[in-house]
Amino acid sequence: MLFNSYTFLVFFAIVLILHNLPFSWKTKKINLLLASYVFYAAWNPPFILLLWLSTLVDFFVGRALYTQENKHKKKLLLVISLIGNLGMLCYFKYGGFILENFTHLVNALGANFHPAKPNIILPAGISFYTFTTLCYTIDMYRKESKPVRTLLDFSLFVTFFPHLVAGPIVRPPQLVPQFLTPRKANSQQMMQGLFLLSLGLFMKVFLADGMLSGAANTVFGTHDPLKTIDAWMGVLAFSGQIFFDFAGYSSCAIGAALCLGFTLPQNFLFPYAAVGFTDFWRRWHITLSSWLRDYLYIPLGGNRMGKYRTYFNLMVTMLLGGLWHGANWTFVVWGALHGFYLWVEKAFRDLRNRSKGIPMFVATEEQLVKASFGPTMKRPVEGSFPPEKNHPKNLTNFILALGTFFLVNVTWVFFRSPDFSSAWQILRAMFTNLPKGTAVLSYLDISKVIIITIALVISHWLMRNTMVLKVAGKMPWWLLGITWSLMILLIMLSQNATSSFIYFQF
Amino acid sequence: MESSNYIKAGLLAIGICIVAAVSWEIHLRRVGMDISFDDNRALWAYIRAKVYEPKDRATVFIGSSRIKFDLDIPTWELLTGNHAVQLACVGSSPAPVLRDLANDSLFKGKLIIDVTEEIFLTASSFDDEGPGKRVEYYHHITPTQRASFQIDRVLESSFAFLDQDNYSFNAMLPLLHLPQRPGVFPDVIFPPEFDRTTLERQSYMTPKFVVDTSLQNRVKGIWAFFEKMNPDPPITGKKLDSVIQLIKTDVDKIQNRGGEVLFVRTPSSGQVWADEQKFYPRNVYWEKLLAATGCKGIYYKDYPAIAQFECPESSHLSPEQAVVFTKELIKILKDEKGWTFNH
Repeated sequence: MLFNSYTFLVFFAIVLILHNLPFSWKTKKINLLLASYVFYAAWNPPFILLLWLSTLVDFFVGRALYTQENKHKKKLLLVISLIGNLGMLCYFKYGGFILENFTHLVNALGANFHPAKPNIILPAGISFYTFTTLCYTIDMYRKESKPVRTLLDFSLFVTFFPHLVAGPIVRPPQLVPQFLTPRKANSQQMMQGLFLLSLGLFMKVFLADGMLSGAANTVFGTHDPLKTIDAWMGVLAFSGQIFFDFAGYSSCAIGAALCLGFTLPQNFLFPYAAVGFTDFWRRWHITLSSWLRDYLYIPLGGNRMGKYRTYFNLMVTMLLGGLWHGANWTFVVWGALHGFYLWVEKAFRDLRNRSKGIPMFVATEEQLVKASFGPTMKRPVEGSFPPEKNHPKNLTNFILALGTFFLVNVTWVFFRSPDFSSAWQILRAMFTNLPKGTAVLSYLDISKVIIITIALVISHWLMRNTMVLKVAGKMPWWLLGITWSLMILLIMLSQNATSSFIYFQF
Repeated sequence: MESSNYIKAGLLAIGICIVAAVSWEIHLRRVGMDISFDDNRALWAYIRAKVYEPKDRATVFIGSSRIKFDLDIPTWELLTGNHAVQLACVGSSPAPVLRDLANDSLFKGKLIIDVTEEIFLTASSFDDEGPGKRVEYYHHITPTQRASFQIDRVLESSFAFLDQDNYSFNAMLPLLHLPQRPGVFPDVIFPPEFDRTTLERQSYMTPKFVVDTSLQNRVKGIWAFFEKMNPDPPITGKKLDSVIQLIKTDVDKIQNRGGEVLFVRTPSSGQVWADEQKFYPRNVYWEKLLAATGCKGIYYKDYPAIAQFECPESSHLSPEQAVVFTKELIKILKDEKGWTFNH
């Protein structure tokens, strides 16, 4: 089910009513679990079986992992869980990609191998719930948190509909404790949740789909060489589109959970105001970057194993982060570019620290982690990260933020293009004045992209050290009411046919 | 902010939205705009699901915009006792829909294909309204999409401002009339009075459009612009043969399992008719199509009762003309083509 559908509005109204009726807490949790299954099955019913399988396996394997003292058996259990989770992800998400690359390879070696193209449908949200269940079993293996007591709580943790199909990727300590005691939104939480839902839908329906997707689709769907202005407008349009699409989804998810009395972690903190790439990854898809940090980068050694190993670990993390987004080499290159940017930034930071006499490698894990990806998730979290304030709002940092935004836009070319030749064509048009470049965007399209991009960057800069609800909370009620009504009216005026969120395909 | 302030803000937002929506609705009703359904993938899929009715209960129509305007569905259903399943798509070739029906072994009914030669008998896909995407949507529709359509249907049948083609934010932005960028396909703005859509996917002109020659001339100007912009010369020879062969393959599949297929050339007039005569002469395209497929056909010029229509904007019939055309079509089908209906 999509947040931007009439079905969801009816579904959510029913869920809210049921959640506020005088049932026992256990009954309410069962209601939420059943509602979550309905939410998932409404998209593609058969895939709910995978969700059940994943839930059951990880619940029992997780418990066994925690209690098992025999190291070999413990490792075997972990391997079973990893094979189960990653195997499912690999089959559904990367099956076709692996076969295609294997075919290319063996044919390049002289074999004549032409298998039928597999017709595998990607179950919605598999990348997200796989990461959710994986972190549970790994935490159990490490004994970093206690096993979830009941199958009901664990199922609800995995399946809770606001985060199920496109995050935020939650960790057990963030959500499971909230299931232990009865939860019901007070009037302030309810109104804040509804406000976030409206904001998320406004970002998705009006800004991403209504204002920007047209220009992005036109530019990335053009096969002819483009004029420089068109290429840039298309890339900026996609840059805005993907932010509004995904941050919009996250706002809806956090808002929906808040209406029910639950708190989900923040996923975006005004990323286009990031000063550098370390800062960017503290602000963009925070729950994924922190997951990759805690379950990939640090286990690889983080920055505790020397300078070159740190660079290696960074790149591996970003490459796999890129591949997580989709089964295509363009996503890997997108990740590689981000890894490269992080390398350069780290090299500058090391150089500066050396010149100031600051040791290059600090000792505590907390500091190591912060230096690489941002604040650790191991602190008690119920809600959101406090925003980092290490970059004061001055002109130098604003220029650096613009530079970061510029470089991020270059990476989006690989993220959005279906293949390398399309990406190369857009990049050529962006950085050279092609004499036979084609104009594809109208002045109206260009105006929309310019106005929204400027508004986006400035609003991110102004709000980089705060949060939406804080800003809303400081507004006079009448101004908040007018702003809120404008968002709703523009959603109503958009009248876009329901379109799925970009991150559903990941 | 205290919770009471949030509540006050929320109530104010709801109040503003209700006042704005009601005002907009009243304004549209006052200027004569009635409700119109968005002719989108969801509505198409809803109608597509009806093709499986028995042969004596329903007739399926595919084609481009003309049959959507020219077939008056209430008249058809009243006189035949048959449902009209309207699957034509505006500005698009019916080929993807024909292929879909041909490959659907459960479809064994009656099929009428509206022929607009420059859209149907061409090498270009003419997929503006995405019949191919609609077919794909229909085959992959999810339970939530079905449910959303049912809710949407109730809302659209109540509010005139829910009209994506004419009153959505993006549809109204071109009314700012920003200068056109050289080399870029310009915004084409049809007057809202030209095309209103019913739940059964029948298109009709409003009474205002039928009498307002300035509105009609605007649309004639759009047709002239499209004619000028059409980059592809008419196909002939082997290219035309191969296009017709594909159609024949699909038609044969339907007929081989008991279905009936008939082509109909719907009326045009004025400059549009003159251009069509010039570029798509009947003997080269229409006659060849009938000869190759072996299907029956109805060419409107052969029947005096419908041969002399003056289309308001040269390409589509007015609602009153559509009633006359539909009655005559039924008569021809019964008397001349041997089709039988319940009534």
